[in-house]
Amino acid sequence: MAPTPSPVEVGEIAIDDETVPDRPWIVLVWNDPINLMSYVTFVFQKVFGYSLEKATSLMLDVHEKGRAVVSSGAREKAEIDVFRLHEHGLWATMQQDD
Amino acid sequence: MARKRAFIPPIERVRDGYLFNIGDDERQLVARLLTELSQLLMGEADDPRLIRMFPPAYHLADDADADAEYQRLMREDLVASRLSGITAVNAALQQPGPVDEEAMVAFVQAINGLRLVLGTMLDVVEDHDPDDIDEDDPLVGEHHLYNFLSWLLDWAVRALAEPATEPGT
Repeated sequence: MAPTPSPVEVGEIAIDDETVPDRPWIVLVWNDPINLMSYVTFVFQKVFGYSLEKATSLMLDVHEKGRAVVSSGAREKAEIDVFRLHEHGLWATMQQDD
Repeated sequence: MARKRAFIPPIERVRDGYLFNIGDDERQLVARLLTELSQLLMGEADDPRLIRMFPPAYHLADDADADAEYQRLMREDLVASRLSGITAVNAALQQPGPVDEEAMVAFVQAINGLRLVLGTMLDVVEDHDPDDIDEDDPLVGEHHLYNFLSWLLDWAVRALAEPATEPGT
């Protein structure tokens, strides 16, 4: 069985968390005046396998709030998601989650 | 026997795929525009008309190096993906019968790519009114093309969302 960490070690882990490289990345889609709402909903369903309801809700978030987080995960996965969204012409970017 | 219908959509979900109910003129127009898009994609990388085709992947200033790396590694793949999609669409447009889902997905991506380029050239902004066209505008032709492609794309997306039609219904 793994030893229980001392409180000091726990504290160190919490501080180190600021620079842990596998802090998740989030993928954002930004509102833009060209992409059709119906097309954006379709792309979310196609790329992520989201239901029509979830895809529509995300599309409306993008449209009304200017952007929405559409997926998250490890950096490599986020980069693949961004690439697939770029293949479909969506304005997608990624950043490490706060 | 087919029933008479008041309106036939330009793109329609049928039992064995998707059907383009558009004339030869429109097929040729789309094919020509897509060929021009291919040439644009193979041309100068910094062509301002392509800016929306290649957005940054990392938008934070701190991640500028990561973005440069992404553009270096992925841009070529993005161009290749676009070009193979266009080739598939131009082949699909030549065939009179229904096309499969893969071809229709390539179609919506390609048509949207054209809209991104035209929308960039026309400086389309939020709450853009497609009916507000100045006939004296030197880009009046591009405005009409943009609207035509928006109409076509919307019908294609609708067709993709529909289940296959059962025979006899």
